[in-house]
Amino acid sequence: MIKTIASRAWGFLKSFQLTIVLLALLMCLVVLCTLAQVEMGTQGAVNAYMRSFIVWNQPLLLHLPFPGGALVGLLLTINLIGKTLDIKLIWSRAGMWLVHCGLVVLFAGEFVAGMMQVDTNMSIEVGQTVNYVQSYKNTELALIDVTDPTWDEVYSVPDHLLARGGSIAIPGTPVTLNVKRFFPNAELSNLAPGAPPSMATAGVGAQVSVVERPLVAGDNEMNQTSVFVEPMAGGRSYGTWLASLALGAPQSFIHEGHTYVLSMRLRRQYLPYAFTLKQFRHDVYPGTDIPKNFSSLVQVINPSRNESREVLIYMNQPLRYEGKTFYQASFGKNDTLSVLSVVENPGWLLPYVSCVLVSLGLLVHFAIVLRRSLKRRQDQKEG
Amino acid sequence: MTFVKKYLAWGAGALALLIAFIIALPVGKARGFDVSGFGNLPILEGGRVKPLDSLARNSLLLIHSRQGFRHDGRMVGPDEWILDTVFRPQVADQQPIFVIDDPEVISLIGGKQTKNRNYFSFNELGPHLDEVQKQAANAQPIAAQKRTRFQSAVVNLFDRVYLYYKLRNTLQLAGSPGLGWEIQSLGTPEADARHKDLIQLSHFRILPPLAGGSADAWQSVGQALEAGQTGGPLHPGLVPLAKLNAAYVANDPAAFNQALADMKGVVATLKPGAFDHASNELVFNRAQPFFVGLSIYFVAFIVLCISWLYKPELLRPTAYSLLFAGAIVHTLGLAARIILQGRPPVTNLYSSAVFVGWAAVILGIIVERMYRKGFGTAVAAVAGFASLIVAQNLGEGGDTMEMMRAVLDSNFWLATHVTTITIGYSGTFLAGAIAIAYTLRKHIVAKVDPETDRALADMAYGIICFALFFSFVGTVLGGIWADQSWGRFWGWDPKENGALLIVLWNAIILHARMAGYVRERGTMVMAIFGNMITAASWFGVNLLGVGLHAYGFTDSGFMYLVSFWITQVVFMGLCFAPARFWVQPPHAKA
Repeated sequence: MIKTIASRAWGFLKSFQLTIVLLALLMCLVVLCTLAQVEMGTQGAVNAYMRSFIVWNQPLLLHLPFPGGALVGLLLTINLIGKTLDIKLIWSRAGMWLVHCGLVVLFAGEFVAGMMQVDTNMSIEVGQTVNYVQSYKNTELALIDVTDPTWDEVYSVPDHLLARGGSIAIPGTPVTLNVKRFFPNAELSNLAPGAPPSMATAGVGAQVSVVERPLVAGDNEMNQTSVFVEPMAGGRSYGTWLASLALGAPQSFIHEGHTYVLSMRLRRQYLPYAFTLKQFRHDVYPGTDIPKNFSSLVQVINPSRNESREVLIYMNQPLRYEGKTFYQASFGKNDTLSVLSVVENPGWLLPYVSCVLVSLGLLVHFAIVLRRSLKRRQDQKEG
Repeated sequence: MTFVKKYLAWGAGALALLIAFIIALPVGKARGFDVSGFGNLPILEGGRVKPLDSLARNSLLLIHSRQGFRHDGRMVGPDEWILDTVFRPQVADQQPIFVIDDPEVISLIGGKQTKNRNYFSFNELGPHLDEVQKQAANAQPIAAQKRTRFQSAVVNLFDRVYLYYKLRNTLQLAGSPGLGWEIQSLGTPEADARHKDLIQLSHFRILPPLAGGSADAWQSVGQALEAGQTGGPLHPGLVPLAKLNAAYVANDPAAFNQALADMKGVVATLKPGAFDHASNELVFNRAQPFFVGLSIYFVAFIVLCISWLYKPELLRPTAYSLLFAGAIVHTLGLAARIILQGRPPVTNLYSSAVFVGWAAVILGIIVERMYRKGFGTAVAAVAGFASLIVAQNLGEGGDTMEMMRAVLDSNFWLATHVTTITIGYSGTFLAGAIAIAYTLRKHIVAKVDPETDRALADMAYGIICFALFFSFVGTVLGGIWADQSWGRFWGWDPKENGALLIVLWNAIILHARMAGYVRERGTMVMAIFGNMITAASWFGVNLLGVGLHAYGFTDSGFMYLVSFWITQVVFMGLCFAPARFWVQPPHAKA
């Protein structure tokens, strides 16, 4: 009995009906995901439709649940593996076998990318040296001990910890941060005369009024993450400070001879190597503003490898270094600032493998079919 | 087929090619002036060196939506028009070239909508330009998709007027005594301001780079005058230009043609090769291979339709040979574009339409060679005709050989990814076209003919396999290009999604057919649906206005897309209609 149920379930999982239903569902998801990008931005739409198991509460679907991309992808992979195992290992099926193996690899690649890919960026001004990459959207509250002029000691609290609130002890320092209020997105303005006083008692925050705003997800929109925080050290309070992405000027307090800077910033990941931007070029076609080329000449400095060399990063020519890939992405500040997008994806090779397998498989299959049909025509002529 | 019929059939194709050749021959002089030679002068505009003729055609297409117009009882071509515009603006200003369709804009400029199309001259627009500019300035900050019909139309009119205004102030300031006077008054203090105006309004640069300077440093007349103002040496091209100007205004063809020869001499010394490159492009412009090609395809299709009623054994080969002639013209045009541009065939939406049509025609010819039933010719002629019509409409947006933006500037990926994916589009469209032919045939032809049905189904199936191969490989190659340029293989960008939809749909068709869920008719219905998906992927994402690939589309594009979808739904319905609608009773009359 159990065996029959299991075999029937397996039979269903590898059936053609399921293949077609899943492919059709995937088409629906792709259409929905594309339409949703107008409102939600690419990343938001992909997370909602493609990187989820069940799609909940989307206005495009009238808030009805729908199987998400991850679920469809998973079932399709199982279906595909079942099918692939079923394809008889005979020469006339060799092409199909290769194609379906390639598809399994392609799906695996997209899964790895969905789960493990990390997108960050690096902005460097000409002449500047940078040894970190930063997130596009996630933020952190950094507490920086700048006492030593040659060395900054950085402690940082990511935004999701700030969102939880309460007090956060910073290991390695005597400081504890009391999170008074956290705003995932806020709008800051000068405190109008007669308005209720700011929560902040120290720093520029005392003259600023903060209004909470709904989160934005568009590709070109930024959340102005802000927090009211009270640093405590040695049993005394240093006042309540406002830290926000919207505030530029550094704010600091001194405790037992140590100067601590408080700053809200995009989340950083420090690297064991550094890039110096030596030159940035923005070429245009003569007599127009149409960009012809962007390129960054960087000096890669890696003490651990005893390495210091120049690399030119330009359009369609990224630098792959230490598991990360650096692409020329953007520019600013009158062509003196270059923005490199940085991607870390352990599965980046899988699509290449898949492409080779599938193309080869299709070629083999069509060659076999062509041969068969030519033979049939020959037979017809003779017969 | 007899010997004579064979020669008659191929003679039709040869005749079509002869006509195409005659169109490419140079036209005579206008009023004794070598206007064609003037159009051959190379200029720098939009980032590339091209003949003035290309600029004239594209500008006139933008302003007038045709490449020529009738005025005072005779045809004015693009070269003569640009000559009037740059040297005799007082004449050009009277020519009714601005086409305005929007009734609200027409009433804004105090006109009445009298005919289907309404043409106005610059002089007629003159008193209302301030108002047009004011309205356009209000509308410009609004994103193009969110503008009302009036706002789009008024911005469009303003852009065209501004283009014309710049053209007439590029070689001389309109209303001034001319370039010769400008050269004589070099050094006078008032000239400075005029040079500034000339530089600011200049639309193209006509003076080739001086020896020793950068190879791209073409100069506009204003720049050259400014350099001369401070006592530097005068650019050698200025004096011949001034002579051209004076001779044209004085209506002296002999002096004009002499000055033109001088100007050619200057170009040949400073920039050898530029003149020849420009004259190649001039021949291409004049030949209009895609327009000629679509006309031949149209005739081929008509001949084929007649062949089903009358003398099939003569007319069917005639249609095929006409299709072949059309394909030769189309191929030559495509090859000429590749050579002139130094790029693979597909670089923008316009060229993708040209290429989709070309690939569909070639596939159709192959299918016709294999089955010889006339269906290959029919669908190829329709596909070629339709896609070139689409291309003609897309080409009204300006220079179709525009420069590639930095990220697209990669001949390798343009040649592999873009070409492959476009062939995938062609295949899907062709399969859909065959399915439509199958449907129509079922309803029109009384005789039940399962053999032909099967042949059509085989054709469609084979082409769907072909399309799946190319669209899949093209999509994956696109992913790899994206990995090279942006660091992600797959970003769910709308254009990528569109390509994926085509792959998925073709895969569904093949799997459904293999599992036996659909047979002949089901496959055909699905193939027609493939047309809708391909159209959406090709043009729909440009209407969505998001993503990296959205490289612009006209506002009315959405209406066209929806209309196309409706026709396809109708065809699907027809194909679905039960068998009793298909087979006509043999003698239905009472």
